Amino acid sequence: MSNLGFALEGAWKVLLAGLILGAGLPAVFALGIRSMAFGAGGDAEVDHAAPHPVGRVVAYALFVLVVLVALMGIIFIVASGFGKTLSFEHIYPTIVDN
Amino acid sequence: MTETTVILVLVVITALGFDFTNGFHDTANAMATSIATGALRPKVAVALSGILNLVGAFLSVEVALTVSNAVVRIQNSDGTPKESLTSDGGSALLLIVLAGLVGSIVWNLFTWLLGLPSSSSHALFGGLIGATIAGLGWAGVNWNGDGSKLDGVVGKVILPALLSPVIAGVVAAVGTWLIYRLTVGVAKRFTDNGFRWGQIGSASLVSLAHGTNDAQKTMGVITLALIAAGDWTDTKSIPFWVKASCALAIAAGTYLGGWRIIRTLGKGLVEIAPPQGMAAESSSAAVILASSHLGFALSTTHVATGSILGSGVGKPGAQVRWRVAGRMVAAWLITLPSAAVVGALMWFIGDSIGGLAGALVVFLILVAAAGYMYWHSRKTPVDHNNVNDEWDETAERREPAGTAV
Repeated sequence: MSNLGFALEGAWKVLLAGLILGAGLPAVFALGIRSMAFGAGGDAEVDHAAPHPVGRVVAYALFVLVVLVALMGIIFIVASGFGKTLSFEHIYPTIVDN
Repeated sequence: MTETTVILVLVVITALGFDFTNGFHDTANAMATSIATGALRPKVAVALSGILNLVGAFLSVEVALTVSNAVVRIQNSDGTPKESLTSDGGSALLLIVLAGLVGSIVWNLFTWLLGLPSSSSHALFGGLIGATIAGLGWAGVNWNGDGSKLDGVVGKVILPALLSPVIAGVVAAVGTWLIYRLTVGVAKRFTDNGFRWGQIGSASLVSLAHGTNDAQKTMGVITLALIAAGDWTDTKSIPFWVKASCALAIAAGTYLGGWRIIRTLGKGLVEIAPPQGMAAESSSAAVILASSHLGFALSTTHVATGSILGSGVGKPGAQVRWRVAGRMVAAWLITLPSAAVVGALMWFIGDSIGGLAGALVVFLILVAAAGYMYWHSRKTPVDHNNVNDEWDETAERREPAGTAV
């Protein structure tokens, strides 16, 4: 296979991973902020609705999810420095030899 | 001290100098958006980025000794220098490395003077390619690899450079669009605060990844020079002082902050609001980490610029200054050949004078060029005080025009 073939093969995988993690994750974060505003009510939203306590709970759950995925990113950076990598073979990430 | 030892010392100093320019050239990639949106004060941003680069550089335990193999043929596949280049005590190889490094530093400083975010890895590869062509001829360059994997100048440098800004741009545009859609009806004061935090987090990830990726390259180059001069033999590890000095050089460079480039990326390209900043940095972090996971080599600079551009495209009604973007793309295209020309020129100068004197002259040319460009930059200083001033297209265009090496 030529270089172009290899590059395009790598490129669409990077694009896919980028869309899920690089665009999806900020979207989850945005939902968290929306949920937080829904929880706070009043002037946090333009329609000045009443506060909904459940909004805060949902917001924190979403933020925790975002932080966990970001932590995975840090673990990946550290692991690759030690010649290891993250494997998604078992769905949940595990550290394996590179 | 033998002649080779003195040349080796010059190579090490020059390599650390390159590492330093690598740091301040790339501060913007991680921190330009956080500085522009006011998520972090400028000095705090560069300090945070510097520390994370330092940590990142120490985390890179894997040896990047074969870094030059992707583009030039001066090393065997196990990382040792080619025997033909070390028969004279190593000075043939040292001169190629020295000339290449000088080419990359000169180009890095020149684009910094113009406030253009060009790729430091392209400058490094360009300088090495130029010096190698001058020293060994066209056959010394690994243009296309052997077809078994993504390799060579085309596979490791040119194709990723064409693809990565587009990928990062698409990801950032989609992210920005989603964020704005999902937060419709939430008060701006409320969203801005939240997204500033997200922005700081994602920018920190980019800084850490930068430290692990980029400092490694200089470590590999210095170790190669040490092996060529016979001062190191292990191809599986690098001396601790090499790792420590490279980590400190890139961190110090990052902390110094290439304010001109930060200004162009943070204010010149797109007027960035916190939601866009977070989308851009998340896209950069995801694309950089995903590609290093998949072994797809790319430049942090190209990714960061693509992301920021994408965050402008994805926000309805945002203004993107395509003229600034065009100048950046032009700088990208000429980075590799320009650094190569300087690298080749330096090799010819060093080789025709010969020996230690040749290496010294090349080194002094670097010092003079760097000094001149620094002096030139003081005429229109950009620092942490004015980095966020309003972008005035006509004034910005007047300032760098007419500057020449």
